[in-house]
Amino acid sequence: MKVSLKKVAQFSVLSSLLVLAACGGGGEQATGEKEGQAAGGGVITADIGVISYISGPGAAYGEAITSGLKLAQKEINAKGDVEINLLIEDSAGKQDQALTAAQKLMNSENVTAIIGPTLSTEMNVVGPEADLNGVPIMGTSTTAEGIPQLGEYVFRNSIPEALAIPASMTKAIEKYGAKKVAILYGNDDVFTKSGFDTMKKAAEDMDLEILTIETFQKGQSDYNAQLTKIKGMNPDLILASALYNEGAVIMDQARKMGIDVPFVGGNGFNSPEVIKIAGDAANGLIVATPWYGEKDDSKVKEFVSKFEEEYGKKPDQFAAQAYDALYIYAEALKNAGEADRDAFRDALAQVKDFNGILGNFSFDDEGDVVMDPTVLIIEDGQFKEFN
Amino acid sequence: MLAELINPYYLQVASFVLINIILGISVYIPLSTGQLSLASAGFMGMGAYTSALLTIHFELPIVLGIIAGTLVAGIMGVLIGIPTLRLQGVYLAIVTLGFGEVIRVLFVNWESLTKGSVGLSGIPHMGREILASLREFGFNPQSLGLQNNQFIFLTIFFLLLVITAFIIWFFRRQHSSRVGRAFAAIKLDEKAAESMGINITYYKVLAFAQGAVIAGFAGALYAHVLAYISPADFAYHRAVEILVFTVFGGSEVIWGPVFGSLFLTLMPEVLRFISEYRYMLYGLIIIIMMAVRPQGLIDVHLLELLKSKTAKRRQKYGAGNQKSM
Repeated sequence: MKVSLKKVAQFSVLSSLLVLAACGGGGEQATGEKEGQAAGGGVITADIGVISYISGPGAAYGEAITSGLKLAQKEINAKGDVEINLLIEDSAGKQDQALTAAQKLMNSENVTAIIGPTLSTEMNVVGPEADLNGVPIMGTSTTAEGIPQLGEYVFRNSIPEALAIPASMTKAIEKYGAKKVAILYGNDDVFTKSGFDTMKKAAEDMDLEILTIETFQKGQSDYNAQLTKIKGMNPDLILASALYNEGAVIMDQARKMGIDVPFVGGNGFNSPEVIKIAGDAANGLIVATPWYGEKDDSKVKEFVSKFEEEYGKKPDQFAAQAYDALYIYAEALKNAGEADRDAFRDALAQVKDFNGILGNFSFDDEGDVVMDPTVLIIEDGQFKEFN
Repeated sequence: MLAELINPYYLQVASFVLINIILGISVYIPLSTGQLSLASAGFMGMGAYTSALLTIHFELPIVLGIIAGTLVAGIMGVLIGIPTLRLQGVYLAIVTLGFGEVIRVLFVNWESLTKGSVGLSGIPHMGREILASLREFGFNPQSLGLQNNQFIFLTIFFLLLVITAFIIWFFRRQHSSRVGRAFAAIKLDEKAAESMGINITYYKVLAFAQGAVIAGFAGALYAHVLAYISPADFAYHRAVEILVFTVFGGSEVIWGPVFGSLFLTLMPEVLRFISEYRYMLYGLIIIIMMAVRPQGLIDVHLLELLKSKTAKRRQKYGAGNQKSM
């Protein structure tokens, strides 16, 4: 009796192992077949994961990004070269949530590639993990220093501050002949802090005299102390690395105090909300942006009208960047010819001179952005191209 | 099949659950002497930054980094615990909240060391380091039929599971020891406890410091599981979140914070399918629960009820067994 029990046990272990092996093999075969068919039929089907900031205080970013993506998805799938399924997950703006969302997409949903997450802090956590798993990942709104350097599989199509800020500074200096600048920045936010680092470096490179560096905190409402000091020093230009909500209040208070020099802002300052909050005081703000909705370009006009029709409001830069990002993915997918992660990564790295709504776009060796930003200035309560 | 069961996604969520359980306990311990502390996020940050900086700049092994982070948080806990002894209730909560903010602002402004609000990246990852050192001994996860990332998350999970189980075991033992009874006496009535000869100063500082040690420890683990930390992670939102774990689960018994952390960490993941509405439902669940059970979900009565039920069932089952004999 005992012996037979042992045999039964041995047999069941053996058979379960066999079943396991068969299952594993079967799974691989199935996916292989699926890809083969797709390539043969001419339509490449791919699951693209999206990690976005959909709930929480920054949900407006996530909403813009997902609407841009959905619009692009509709158009791309209608064209019929590639079939993209979007799997959208929420990160709530938290690193740990972004990481679990990424794990879910990479391991449970087996996506080919990921778009997102929204914040640079989230990308700092998700990027290395995706790189380790060999899943291509592209940020559409991550502008901080060092994002594409996280790994070979990490890309972005959002213009980094290191490209945008010097561009707007150069133009402003040329126009106004500025020599002395004052810098004002929010030191408790990743975005504004990293913008400040770029500003300081650019100012040093351009041999500008930095009169003073002042800081403020998120949610501050009174900037008179900093502005009084700046006013006393008489700068030609004020560099302000601030998010639009604080930035608009700063400009308002500065103008009331009689500071009428132009402001140069970072990417976070670039929002139509500035004009809404500060009104006339917003005139004279110079920002560099990848996205200019009034551009005289058929693609841009088409996108703006389609977006307005679909969502009832004008697209912002986040929607535009996300829209272009999915088109870049579609192009890479077409060139790769299959929904394989490695083939897709190689094809993505080779995307060059892609002509999207943001302009002419290429990746450099590290997966960072190569393109010329547009410099804008607020005049008479409107964003206009700055020349 | 086995490979599918070991999904890094589930393991990742489980790891966060375990870390949050440790954090929940760090609020429960001071609370068991009647001290409402909101400093746990601050202590957590101290542990995380200490360990991260030591392992990045001095290439210390992670274990030593975590121990150092825990100790620093613990020492800080004693230093904060002594002067705040005379405070109670809301006043203590305000002071500890202030302490947490001081720590966060320190991380933001000490840029030469902490890189300010940009945060520290490139912290050695616990699982990847373990795998790398095992590789040196010629071990290969493929020999177990696992992929690298599966192995990484499996080791992290089991490590955290053992640690959490040990911590729960320790505090359960402590609860029924002399120390635990002293804590309970202080919570019920400080003056009475003092007149019974309990050294209130000692036990209150002990509880506060234990909370700090545990929070610092959890913070250090968090840093090495996430491999990136920034001051915003340890803001007062975090302190409130940890407090909610404990208050929601129940602060009378240790199973309260354990269950609270488990439930509230799992909830946002389980609710993923309703995407942007999930935090609405999450908030609603908390409101309903708190309205129905203000003392927290798990309290002494519930545990006794469960115990007596299982005991009855066992009696029945036992009797049934005897019959068939």
